[in-house]
Amino acid sequence: MNPAPPVVVSGVSKTFQRARDRSPVEALKDVSLNLRANTFVTLLGPSGCGKTTLLRMINGLIKPDSGQVLVFGEPPKPGPRIGFVFQSFRLIPWLTVRNNVGFGLSLQGVDQGEKNDRVEYYLKLVGLSRFADVYPHELSGGMKQRAALARALVTEPEILLMDEPFASLDAQVRELMQMEMMRLWSERKSIVLFVTHSVDEAVIMADQIVLMGPRPGRIVETIDVTLPRPRWDAEIRMRRDFVELRGYLWNRIREMVMRDPSSDFYTGESDSI
Amino acid sequence: MATGLKASMITVYRLLAFVLFLLLWWVISLVVGENLIPTPLSTLSAAQYLIGDGRIAQPLLSSLGVYCSGYALAVVVGIPIGMLMGGIRDLGRTLDIYVNALMATPRVAFIPLIILFLGLGPEAKIAVVFLGAVIPILIGTYSGILNSDAELIEMARSMGATRSQIYWRIMLPGALSFVVMGLRIGATIGLINTVVAELYTAASGLGGLLALYGNTFQMARYFVVVLALALIGGLVSQGLRMLENWASRWRVTTAGN
Ligand SMILES: Nc1ncnc2c1ncn2[C@@H]1O[C@H](COP(=O)(O)OP(=O)(O)OP(=O)(O)O)[C@@H](O)[C@H]1O
Ligand SMILES: [Mg+2]
Repeated sequence: MNPAPPVVVSGVSKTFQRARDRSPVEALKDVSLNLRANTFVTLLGPSGCGKTTLLRMINGLIKPDSGQVLVFGEPPKPGPRIGFVFQSFRLIPWLTVRNNVGFGLSLQGVDQGEKNDRVEYYLKLVGLSRFADVYPHELSGGMKQRAALARALVTEPEILLMDEPFASLDAQVRELMQMEMMRLWSERKSIVLFVTHSVDEAVIMADQIVLMGPRPGRIVETIDVTLPRPRWDAEIRMRRDFVELRGYLWNRIREMVMRDPSSDFYTGESDSI
Repeated sequence: MATGLKASMITVYRLLAFVLFLLLWWVISLVVGENLIPTPLSTLSAAQYLIGDGRIAQPLLSSLGVYCSGYALAVVVGIPIGMLMGGIRDLGRTLDIYVNALMATPRVAFIPLIILFLGLGPEAKIAVVFLGAVIPILIGTYSGILNSDAELIEMARSMGATRSQIYWRIMLPGALSFVVMGLRIGATIGLINTVVAELYTAASGLGGLLALYGNTFQMARYFVVVLALALIGGLVSQGLRMLENWASRWRVTTAGN
Protein backbone atom coordinates (compact mmCIF):
# COMPACT_ATOMS: atom_id res chain seq x y z
CA MET A 1 0.00 0.00 0.00
CA ASN A 2 1.09 3.57 -0.63
CA PRO A 3 1.93 5.64 2.43
CA ALA A 4 -0.74 8.20 3.35
CA PRO A 5 -0.28 11.63 1.73
CA PRO A 6 1.22 14.28 4.04
CA VAL A 7 -2.02 16.25 4.15
CA VAL A 8 -5.35 14.47 4.29
CA VAL A 9 -8.58 16.41 4.57
CA SER A 10 -11.52 14.07 4.79
CA GLY A 11 -15.19 14.96 4.88
CA VAL A 12 -14.60 18.25 6.65
CA SER A 13 -17.46 20.63 7.43
CA LYS A 14 -17.40 23.96 9.21
CA THR A 15 -20.32 26.24 10.00
CA PHE A 16 -19.85 29.69 11.46
CA GLN A 17 -22.53 30.98 13.81
CA ARG A 18 -23.20 34.64 13.35
CA ALA A 19 -24.67 37.44 15.43
CA ARG A 20 -28.43 37.26 16.23
CA ASP A 21 -30.96 37.05 13.43
CA ARG A 22 -28.37 36.32 10.78
CA SER A 23 -28.33 32.76 9.56
CA PRO A 24 -25.22 30.61 10.14
CA VAL A 25 -22.77 30.22 7.23
CA GLU A 26 -21.73 26.85 5.95
CA ALA A 27 -18.16 27.84 5.13
CA LEU A 28 -17.16 24.30 4.21
CA LYS A 29 -19.31 21.28 3.55
CA ASP A 30 -17.96 17.76 3.20
CA VAL A 31 -14.61 18.81 1.79
CA SER A 32 -12.06 16.12 1.04
CA LEU A 33 -8.61 16.80 -0.35
CA ASN A 34 -5.24 15.10 -0.31
CA LEU A 35 -2.01 16.95 -0.86
CA ARG A 36 0.90 14.93 -2.17
CA ALA A 37 4.50 15.64 -1.32
CA ASN A 38 6.28 18.31 -3.39
CA THR A 39 3.22 19.50 -5.24
CA PHE A 40 2.17 23.05 -5.94
CA VAL A 41 -1.59 23.24 -5.57
CA THR A 42 -3.63 26.33 -6.35
CA LEU A 43 -7.01 26.87 -4.81
CA LEU A 44 -9.38 28.80 -7.03
CA GLY A 45 -12.92 29.90 -6.40
CA PRO A 46 -15.28 32.84 -6.00
CA SER A 47 -15.29 35.00 -2.90
CA GLY A 48 -16.72 33.41 0.21
CA CYS A 49 -16.33 29.78 -0.83
CA GLY A 50 -14.23 28.90 2.18
CA LYS A 51 -10.67 29.05 0.81
CA THR A 52 -9.26 30.93 3.78
CA THR A 53 -11.21 28.71 6.16
CA LEU A 54 -9.66 25.62 4.60
CA LEU A 55 -6.17 27.08 4.93
CA ARG A 56 -6.69 28.03 8.56
CA MET A 57 -7.91 24.52 9.22
CA ILE A 58 -4.88 22.87 7.65
CA ASN A 59 -2.66 25.19 9.70
CA GLY A 60 -4.53 24.16 12.84
CA LEU A 61 -5.80 27.66 13.65
CA ILE A 62 -9.38 26.36 13.66
CA LYS A 63 -10.88 22.90 14.10
CA PRO A 64 -13.47 21.28 11.82
CA ASP A 65 -17.00 20.72 13.18
CA SER A 66 -16.97 17.28 11.63
CA GLY A 67 -14.61 15.27 9.49
CA GLN A 68 -10.89 15.17 10.01
CA VAL A 69 -7.72 16.95 8.99
CA LEU A 70 -4.47 15.03 9.29
CA VAL A 71 -1.08 16.57 8.63
CA PHE A 72 1.77 14.07 8.79
CA GLY A 73 -0.72 11.69 10.34
CA GLU A 74 -1.84 13.95 13.19
CA PRO A 75 -4.31 16.76 13.72
CA PRO A 76 -2.38 19.91 12.77
CA LYS A 77 -0.88 22.32 15.31
CA PRO A 78 0.28 25.79 14.21
CA GLY A 79 4.05 25.89 14.19
CA PRO A 80 7.24 25.99 12.18
CA ARG A 81 6.41 22.97 9.98
CA ILE A 82 3.44 24.76 8.39
CA GLY A 83 4.14 28.22 7.00
CA PHE A 84 1.40 30.78 6.35
CA VAL A 85 1.62 33.80 4.05
CA PHE A 86 -1.19 36.34 4.16
CA GLN A 87 -2.51 38.77 1.58
CA SER A 88 -2.00 41.75 3.88
CA PHE A 89 1.65 40.84 4.63
CA ARG A 90 1.17 41.18 8.39
CA LEU A 91 4.69 42.31 9.08
CA ILE A 92 5.25 43.54 12.63
CA PRO A 93 5.64 47.30 12.14
CA TRP A 94 7.97 47.94 15.08
CA LEU A 95 10.47 45.25 14.07
CA THR A 96 13.06 45.66 11.34
CA VAL A 97 12.86 43.43 8.29
CA ARG A 98 15.59 41.25 9.80
CA ASN A 99 13.68 40.75 13.03
CA ASN A 100 10.44 40.17 11.20
CA VAL A 101 12.04 37.42 9.17
CA GLY A 102 13.55 35.95 12.33
CA PHE A 103 10.27 36.11 14.24
CA GLY A 104 9.38 32.43 13.91
CA LEU A 105 12.86 31.34 14.92
CA SER A 106 12.85 33.57 17.97
CA LEU A 107 9.49 32.08 19.00
CA GLN A 108 11.11 28.66 18.96
CA GLY A 109 14.13 29.91 20.86
CA VAL A 110 16.61 29.01 18.12
CA ASP A 111 20.02 30.25 19.24
CA GLN A 112 21.23 33.62 18.06
CA GLY A 113 24.03 32.43 15.78
CA GLU A 114 21.94 29.94 13.87
CA LYS A 115 19.07 32.37 13.70
CA ASN A 116 21.27 35.08 12.18
CA ASP A 117 22.65 32.70 9.57
CA ARG A 118 19.26 31.50 8.51
CA VAL A 119 17.73 34.97 8.41
CA GLU A 120 20.68 36.18 6.35
CA TYR A 121 20.26 33.27 3.94
CA TYR A 122 16.56 33.80 3.37
CA LEU A 123 16.88 37.56 3.11
CA LYS A 124 19.38 36.96 0.35
CA LEU A 125 17.15 34.39 -1.30
CA VAL A 126 14.29 36.88 -1.63
CA GLY A 127 16.67 39.72 -2.50
CA LEU A 128 16.18 41.84 0.60
CA SER A 129 19.67 41.78 2.14
CA ARG A 130 20.10 45.49 1.54
CA PHE A 131 16.90 46.24 3.42
CA ALA A 132 17.53 44.07 6.46
CA ASP A 133 17.63 46.98 8.88
CA VAL A 134 14.71 49.09 7.72
CA TYR A 135 11.20 49.05 9.12
CA PRO A 136 8.37 47.56 7.05
CA HIS A 137 6.65 50.87 6.31
CA GLU A 138 9.66 51.88 4.23
CA LEU A 139 9.22 48.92 1.86
CA SER A 140 7.20 48.76 -1.34
CA GLY A 141 4.33 46.27 -1.56
CA GLY A 142 6.42 43.72 -3.46
CA MET A 143 9.24 44.00 -0.93
CA LYS A 144 6.83 43.60 1.97
CA GLN A 145 5.48 40.42 0.46
CA ARG A 146 8.98 39.11 -0.12
CA ALA A 147 9.79 39.81 3.52
CA ALA A 148 6.64 37.95 4.58
CA LEU A 149 7.63 35.09 2.30
CA ALA A 150 11.11 34.95 3.83
CA ARG A 151 9.53 34.93 7.29
CA ALA A 152 7.45 31.90 6.31
CA LEU A 153 10.36 30.12 4.62
CA VAL A 154 12.91 30.67 7.37
CA THR A 155 11.54 27.85 9.52
CA GLU A 156 11.82 25.60 6.45
CA PRO A 157 8.21 24.42 6.56
CA GLU A 158 7.19 21.26 4.78
CA ILE A 159 3.87 22.84 3.96
CA LEU A 160 3.41 26.41 2.81
CA LEU A 161 -0.07 27.91 2.89
CA MET A 162 -0.44 31.09 0.89
CA ASP A 163 -3.67 33.09 1.06
CA GLU A 164 -3.90 35.37 -1.98
CA PRO A 165 -0.33 36.45 -1.34
CA PHE A 166 0.00 38.59 -4.45
CA ALA A 167 -3.51 40.03 -4.61
CA SER A 168 -2.56 43.47 -3.34
CA LEU A 169 0.37 43.89 -5.72
CA ASP A 170 0.16 45.67 -9.04
CA ALA A 171 0.10 43.59 -12.20
CA GLN A 172 3.80 43.77 -13.09
CA VAL A 173 5.10 43.15 -9.59
CA ARG A 174 2.62 40.36 -9.31
CA GLU A 175 3.97 38.55 -12.37
CA LEU A 176 7.53 39.01 -11.16
CA MET A 177 6.55 37.58 -7.79
CA GLN A 178 4.96 34.58 -9.51
CA MET A 179 8.25 33.87 -11.27
CA GLU A 180 10.14 34.43 -8.04
CA MET A 181 7.88 32.01 -6.19
CA MET A 182 8.31 29.33 -8.84
CA ARG A 183 12.06 29.78 -8.74
CA LEU A 184 12.11 29.43 -4.94
CA TRP A 185 9.87 26.42 -5.06
CA SER A 186 11.89 24.66 -7.73
CA GLU A 187 15.03 25.16 -5.62
CA ARG A 188 13.48 23.76 -2.50
CA LYS A 189 10.31 21.79 -3.07
CA SER A 190 7.57 21.52 -0.51
CA ILE A 191 3.82 21.30 -0.50
CA VAL A 192 2.37 24.66 -1.44
CA LEU A 193 -1.33 25.42 -1.18
CA PHE A 194 -1.82 28.72 -2.90
CA VAL A 195 -5.13 30.59 -2.90
CA THR A 196 -5.83 32.96 -5.75
CA HIS A 197 -8.68 34.69 -7.53
CA SER A 198 -6.68 34.91 -10.70
CA VAL A 199 -7.24 32.14 -13.21
CA ASP A 200 -3.96 32.93 -14.96
CA GLU A 201 -2.04 32.74 -11.73
CA ALA A 202 -3.74 29.48 -10.79
CA VAL A 203 -2.79 27.84 -14.08
CA ILE A 204 0.73 29.16 -14.44
CA MET A 205 1.89 28.06 -10.99
CA ALA A 206 0.07 24.80 -10.39
CA ASP A 207 0.68 21.10 -10.57
CA GLN A 208 -2.90 20.77 -9.51
CA ILE A 209 -5.83 23.17 -9.44
CA VAL A 210 -8.57 22.75 -6.87
CA LEU A 211 -11.72 24.55 -7.91
CA MET A 212 -14.12 25.48 -5.13
CA GLY A 213 -17.70 26.69 -5.16
CA PRO A 214 -19.70 28.79 -2.69
CA ARG A 215 -22.68 28.30 -0.37
CA PRO A 216 -21.96 25.83 0.93
CA GLY A 217 -18.21 25.97 0.40
CA ARG A 218 -17.17 22.79 -1.38
CA ILE A 219 -14.69 21.38 -3.85
CA VAL A 220 -16.17 21.31 -7.33
CA GLU A 221 -13.35 19.85 -9.35
CA THR A 222 -9.68 18.97 -9.17
CA ILE A 223 -7.57 19.37 -12.30
CA ASP A 224 -3.99 18.22 -12.90
CA VAL A 225 -1.93 20.70 -14.87
CA THR A 226 0.53 19.08 -17.20
CA LEU A 227 2.17 22.16 -18.69
CA PRO A 228 5.95 21.65 -18.78
CA ARG A 229 8.19 23.44 -16.29
CA PRO A 230 9.93 25.78 -16.00
CA ARG A 231 7.24 28.20 -17.01
CA TRP A 232 9.04 31.49 -16.88
CA ASP A 233 8.91 32.42 -20.54
CA ALA A 234 5.97 34.31 -21.87
CA GLU A 235 5.33 31.68 -24.59
CA ILE A 236 3.71 29.45 -22.03
CA ARG A 237 0.71 31.73 -22.01
CA MET A 238 0.25 31.22 -25.73
CA ARG A 239 0.22 27.44 -25.68
CA ARG A 240 -3.04 25.92 -26.73
CA ASP A 241 -3.47 23.79 -23.61
CA PHE A 242 -2.86 26.85 -21.42
CA VAL A 243 -5.47 28.89 -23.27
CA GLU A 244 -8.02 26.08 -23.22
CA LEU A 245 -7.63 25.37 -19.52
CA ARG A 246 -7.85 29.05 -18.76
CA GLY A 247 -11.03 29.40 -20.81
CA TYR A 248 -12.57 26.37 -19.17
CA LEU A 249 -11.87 27.64 -15.65
CA TRP A 250 -13.22 31.08 -16.52
CA ASN A 251 -16.51 29.59 -17.63
CA ARG A 252 -16.85 27.41 -14.56
CA ILE A 253 -16.29 30.35 -12.23
CA ARG A 254 -18.60 32.61 -14.18
CA GLU A 255 -21.37 30.02 -13.99
CA MET A 256 -20.92 29.64 -10.26
CA VAL A 257 -20.98 33.35 -9.64
CA MET A 258 -24.05 33.97 -11.76
CA ARG A 259 -25.98 31.15 -10.10
CA ASP A 260 -25.11 32.32 -6.61
CA PRO A 261 -28.09 34.31 -5.28
CA SER A 262 -25.88 36.26 -2.91
CA SER A 263 -23.37 37.43 -5.51
CA ASP A 264 -23.55 40.78 -7.25
CA PHE A 265 -23.83 39.08 -10.62
CA TYR A 266 -26.80 36.83 -9.89
CA THR A 267 -28.91 36.45 -13.02
CA GLY A 268 -31.61 34.07 -11.77
CA GLU A 269 -31.92 30.31 -12.10
CA SER A 270 -31.93 30.08 -15.87
CA ASP A 271 -28.60 30.85 -17.39
CA SER A 272 -29.36 32.29 -20.73
CA ILE A 273 -26.23 34.28 -21.45
CA MET B 1 17.51 69.62 3.47
CA ALA B 2 14.19 71.19 2.55
CA THR B 3 12.72 69.93 5.81
CA GLY B 4 15.70 71.35 7.74
CA LEU B 5 15.01 74.74 6.22
CA LYS B 6 11.35 74.43 7.11
CA ALA B 7 12.18 73.49 10.70
CA SER B 8 14.34 76.57 11.14
CA MET B 9 11.56 78.71 9.66
CA ILE B 10 9.23 77.28 12.31
CA THR B 11 11.71 78.34 15.01
CA VAL B 12 11.68 81.86 13.61
CA TYR B 13 7.87 81.90 13.53
CA ARG B 14 7.77 80.66 17.10
CA LEU B 15 10.01 83.49 18.24
CA LEU B 16 7.83 85.95 16.35
CA ALA B 17 4.73 84.53 18.02
CA PHE B 18 6.43 84.91 21.39
CA VAL B 19 7.25 88.55 20.71
CA LEU B 20 3.69 89.10 19.55
CA PHE B 21 2.40 87.49 22.73
CA LEU B 22 4.58 89.78 24.87
CA LEU B 23 3.32 92.79 22.95
CA LEU B 24 -0.29 91.74 23.39
CA TRP B 25 0.28 91.15 27.09
CA TRP B 26 1.86 94.57 27.41
CA VAL B 27 -0.98 96.32 25.57
CA ILE B 28 -3.62 94.54 27.66
CA SER B 29 -1.86 95.42 30.88
CA LEU B 30 -1.80 99.07 29.81
CA VAL B 31 -5.49 99.02 28.89
CA VAL B 32 -6.73 97.06 31.91
CA GLY B 33 -4.41 98.71 34.38
CA GLU B 34 -1.15 97.56 35.83
CA ASN B 35 -2.58 96.71 39.23
CA LEU B 36 -4.75 93.98 37.68
CA ILE B 37 -2.43 92.72 34.97
CA PRO B 38 1.23 93.63 35.46
CA THR B 39 3.36 94.47 32.44
CA PRO B 40 5.87 91.92 31.20
CA LEU B 41 8.66 94.11 32.53
CA SER B 42 7.33 94.41 36.07
CA THR B 43 6.68 90.65 36.04
CA LEU B 44 10.30 90.13 35.04
CA SER B 45 11.58 92.31 37.86
CA ALA B 46 9.26 90.50 40.30
CA ALA B 47 10.74 87.23 39.05
CA GLN B 48 14.28 88.52 39.57
CA TYR B 49 13.38 89.55 43.09
CA LEU B 50 11.65 86.25 43.98
CA ILE B 51 14.46 84.17 42.54
CA GLY B 52 17.24 86.29 44.00
CA ASP B 53 15.57 86.33 47.39
CA GLY B 54 15.23 82.54 47.28
CA ARG B 55 11.53 82.87 47.98
CA ILE B 56 10.40 80.78 45.04
CA ALA B 57 12.99 78.00 45.24
CA GLN B 58 11.58 76.27 48.29
CA PRO B 59 7.92 76.23 47.12
CA LEU B 60 9.07 75.14 43.67
CA LEU B 61 10.97 72.19 45.09
CA SER B 62 8.10 71.26 47.35
CA SER B 63 5.63 71.30 44.42
CA LEU B 64 8.00 69.31 42.23
CA GLY B 65 8.45 66.80 45.05
CA VAL B 66 4.70 66.29 45.39
CA TYR B 67 4.19 66.17 41.64
CA CYS B 68 7.00 63.72 40.90
CA SER B 69 6.19 61.38 43.79
CA GLY B 70 2.49 61.25 42.95
CA TYR B 71 3.17 60.80 39.25
CA ALA B 72 5.83 58.14 39.75
CA LEU B 73 3.48 56.23 42.01
CA ALA B 74 0.75 56.49 39.37
CA VAL B 75 3.08 55.09 36.69
CA VAL B 76 4.25 52.24 38.89
CA VAL B 77 0.68 51.29 39.80
CA GLY B 78 -1.24 52.24 36.64
CA ILE B 79 0.83 50.45 34.02
CA PRO B 80 0.96 47.04 35.75
CA ILE B 81 -2.76 47.08 36.57
CA GLY B 82 -3.54 48.06 32.97
CA MET B 83 -1.28 45.23 31.81
CA LEU B 84 -3.04 42.74 34.05
CA MET B 85 -6.49 43.91 32.97
CA GLY B 86 -5.45 43.67 29.32
CA GLY B 87 -3.77 40.29 29.73
CA ILE B 88 -6.52 38.60 31.71
CA ARG B 89 -9.67 39.32 29.74
CA ASP B 90 -12.12 38.41 32.51
CA LEU B 91 -10.31 40.60 35.02
CA GLY B 92 -10.43 43.48 32.53
CA ARG B 93 -14.14 42.98 31.85
CA THR B 94 -14.86 42.82 35.58
CA LEU B 95 -13.01 45.98 36.48
CA ASP B 96 -13.32 48.26 33.50
CA ILE B 97 -16.73 49.72 34.35
CA TYR B 98 -15.41 50.78 37.76
CA VAL B 99 -12.29 52.29 36.25
CA ASN B 100 -14.38 54.21 33.74
CA ALA B 101 -16.73 55.39 36.48
CA LEU B 102 -13.71 56.62 38.43
CA MET B 103 -12.41 58.37 35.31
CA ALA B 104 -15.73 60.20 34.95
CA THR B 105 -15.89 61.22 38.63
CA PRO B 106 -14.18 64.56 39.31
CA ARG B 107 -11.45 63.21 41.52
CA VAL B 108 -11.31 66.47 43.43
CA ALA B 109 -14.41 65.04 45.10
CA PHE B 110 -12.13 62.66 47.01
CA ILE B 111 -10.05 65.39 48.63
CA PRO B 112 -12.08 65.61 51.86
CA LEU B 113 -11.87 61.84 52.21
CA ILE B 114 -8.14 61.88 51.59
CA ILE B 115 -7.66 64.62 54.17
CA LEU B 116 -9.63 62.52 56.63
CA PHE B 117 -7.29 59.58 56.14
CA LEU B 118 -3.95 61.21 55.44
CA GLY B 119 -4.23 64.62 57.04
CA LEU B 120 -3.04 67.84 55.44
CA GLY B 121 0.63 67.00 54.89
CA PRO B 122 2.55 65.90 51.81
CA GLU B 123 1.07 62.37 51.89
CA ALA B 124 -2.39 63.76 51.19
CA LYS B 125 -1.08 65.94 48.37
CA ILE B 126 0.76 63.05 46.80
CA ALA B 127 -2.43 60.98 47.04
CA VAL B 128 -4.40 63.66 45.18
CA VAL B 129 -1.81 63.78 42.39
CA PHE B 130 -1.66 59.99 42.26
CA LEU B 131 -5.42 59.67 41.99
CA GLY B 132 -5.55 62.16 39.14
CA ALA B 133 -2.74 60.61 37.13
CA VAL B 134 -3.24 56.90 37.70
CA ILE B 135 -6.57 56.46 35.92
CA PRO B 136 -5.57 57.82 32.48
CA ILE B 137 -2.32 55.83 32.64
CA LEU B 138 -4.19 52.67 33.55
CA ILE B 139 -6.84 53.21 30.87
CA GLY B 140 -4.19 54.03 28.25
CA THR B 141 -2.35 50.79 28.94
CA TYR B 142 -5.51 48.70 29.09
CA SER B 143 -7.10 50.08 25.94
CA GLY B 144 -3.78 49.84 24.08
CA ILE B 145 -3.73 46.13 24.76
CA LEU B 146 -7.40 45.73 23.86
CA ASN B 147 -6.75 47.51 20.57
CA SER B 148 -4.03 45.14 19.49
CA ASP B 149 -3.99 44.09 15.89
CA ALA B 150 -6.04 40.90 15.42
CA GLU B 151 -4.26 40.16 12.14
CA LEU B 152 -0.84 40.24 13.78
CA ILE B 153 -2.09 38.02 16.57
CA GLU B 154 -3.38 35.49 14.07
CA MET B 155 -0.06 35.65 12.21
CA ALA B 156 1.82 34.91 15.43
CA ARG B 157 -0.59 32.10 16.26
CA SER B 158 -0.09 30.57 12.83
CA MET B 159 3.62 30.38 13.63
CA GLY B 160 2.97 28.55 16.85
CA ALA B 161 3.33 31.45 19.31
CA THR B 162 2.09 30.65 22.82
CA ARG B 163 -0.38 32.94 24.57
CA SER B 164 2.34 34.55 26.61
CA GLN B 165 4.54 35.05 23.56
CA ILE B 166 1.62 36.76 21.82
CA TYR B 167 1.09 38.98 24.86
CA TRP B 168 4.72 40.05 25.28
CA ARG B 169 5.75 40.24 21.63
CA ILE B 170 2.61 41.49 19.86
CA MET B 171 0.03 42.93 22.23
CA LEU B 172 2.26 44.84 24.63
CA PRO B 173 4.63 46.47 22.09
CA GLY B 174 1.59 47.35 20.00
CA ALA B 175 0.08 49.12 23.01
CA LEU B 176 3.09 51.36 23.55
CA SER B 177 1.73 54.46 21.82
CA PHE B 178 -1.47 54.21 23.88
CA VAL B 179 0.58 53.88 27.06
CA VAL B 180 2.52 57.03 26.20
CA MET B 181 -0.74 58.84 25.48
CA GLY B 182 -1.98 57.82 28.93
CA LEU B 183 1.29 59.06 30.41
CA ARG B 184 0.81 62.45 28.78
CA ILE B 185 -2.75 62.88 29.94
CA GLY B 186 -1.75 61.65 33.39
CA ALA B 187 1.09 64.18 33.53
CA THR B 188 -1.25 67.05 32.72
CA ILE B 189 -3.90 66.03 35.23
CA GLY B 190 -1.17 65.35 37.79
CA LEU B 191 0.11 68.90 37.51
CA ILE B 192 -3.38 70.34 37.83
CA ASN B 193 -3.97 68.19 40.89
CA THR B 194 -0.69 69.29 42.43
CA VAL B 195 -1.94 72.87 42.50
CA VAL B 196 -5.44 71.83 43.56
CA ALA B 197 -4.01 69.79 46.43
CA GLU B 198 -1.84 72.69 47.56
CA LEU B 199 -4.82 74.99 47.55
CA TYR B 200 -7.19 72.62 49.34
CA THR B 201 -4.94 71.03 51.95
CA ALA B 202 -2.33 72.92 53.98
CA ALA B 203 -1.31 75.69 51.60
CA SER B 204 2.23 75.12 50.40
CA GLY B 205 4.33 75.01 47.26
CA LEU B 206 3.50 76.99 44.15
CA GLY B 207 -0.22 76.53 44.79
CA GLY B 208 0.23 78.12 48.20
CA LEU B 209 2.08 81.07 46.67
CA LEU B 210 -0.72 81.47 44.08
CA ALA B 211 -3.25 81.78 46.88
CA LEU B 212 -1.04 84.11 48.90
CA TYR B 213 -0.21 86.54 46.09
CA GLY B 214 -3.64 86.29 44.50
CA ASN B 215 -5.48 87.08 47.71
CA THR B 216 -3.21 90.01 48.51
CA PHE B 217 -3.29 91.44 45.00
CA GLN B 218 0.46 91.14 44.43
CA MET B 219 -0.23 90.54 40.78
CA ALA B 220 3.32 90.72 39.42
CA ARG B 221 4.46 88.00 41.84
CA TYR B 222 1.28 86.04 41.16
CA PHE B 223 2.14 86.07 37.45
CA VAL B 224 5.64 84.79 38.17
CA VAL B 225 4.13 81.72 39.87
CA VAL B 226 1.71 81.15 36.97
CA LEU B 227 4.61 81.33 34.53
CA ALA B 228 6.65 78.90 36.65
CA LEU B 229 3.77 76.41 36.48
CA ALA B 230 3.48 76.91 32.72
CA LEU B 231 7.21 76.26 32.42
CA ILE B 232 6.95 72.98 34.36
CA GLY B 233 4.00 71.91 32.24
CA GLY B 234 5.88 72.78 29.05
CA LEU B 235 9.03 70.93 30.08
CA VAL B 236 7.14 67.82 31.14
CA SER B 237 5.12 67.64 27.95
CA GLN B 238 8.25 68.21 25.87
CA GLY B 239 9.95 65.33 27.67
CA LEU B 240 6.98 63.08 27.05
CA ARG B 241 6.90 64.10 23.42
CA MET B 242 10.46 62.85 23.14
CA LEU B 243 9.34 59.59 24.71
CA GLU B 244 6.52 59.44 22.17
CA ASN B 245 8.92 59.96 19.28
CA TRP B 246 11.10 57.20 20.62
CA ALA B 247 8.12 54.87 20.99
CA SER B 248 7.04 55.45 17.41
CA ARG B 249 10.50 55.64 15.83
CA TRP B 250 9.59 52.79 13.48
CA ARG B 251 6.93 55.00 11.90
CA VAL B 252 9.46 57.64 10.96
CA THR B 253 11.61 57.21 7.91
CA THR B 254 15.24 56.84 8.95
CA ALA B 255 17.67 59.20 7.33
CA GLY B 256 20.01 57.92 4.61
CA ASN B 257 19.44 54.77 2.57
N1 LIG C 1 -14.67 33.75 11.86
C1 LIG C 1 -15.79 33.77 11.10
N2 LIG C 1 -16.99 34.06 11.65
C2 LIG C 1 -18.09 34.09 10.90
N3 LIG C 1 -18.12 33.81 9.58
C3 LIG C 1 -16.97 33.52 8.97
C4 LIG C 1 -15.74 33.48 9.70
N4 LIG C 1 -14.74 33.16 8.84
C5 LIG C 1 -15.34 33.01 7.64
N5 LIG C 1 -16.66 33.21 7.71
C6 LIG C 1 -17.63 33.08 6.61
O1 LIG C 1 -17.39 31.86 5.97
C7 LIG C 1 -17.46 31.99 4.56
C8 LIG C 1 -16.16 31.55 3.94
O2 LIG C 1 -15.15 32.45 4.35
P1 LIG C 1 -13.67 32.40 3.80
O3 LIG C 1 -12.97 33.57 4.36
O4 LIG C 1 -13.10 31.07 4.07
O5 LIG C 1 -13.90 32.59 2.24
P2 LIG C 1 -12.83 32.83 1.08
O6 LIG C 1 -13.08 31.81 0.06
O7 LIG C 1 -11.47 32.92 1.66
O8 LIG C 1 -13.30 34.23 0.52
P3 LIG C 1 -12.40 35.39 -0.13
O9 LIG C 1 -12.07 34.91 -1.50
O10 LIG C 1 -13.31 36.56 -0.16
O11 LIG C 1 -11.21 35.57 0.74
C9 LIG C 1 -17.78 33.44 4.28
O12 LIG C 1 -19.16 33.56 4.02
C10 LIG C 1 -17.42 34.14 5.55
O13 LIG C 1 -18.26 35.25 5.76
MG1 LIG D 1 -10.04 34.48 1.86
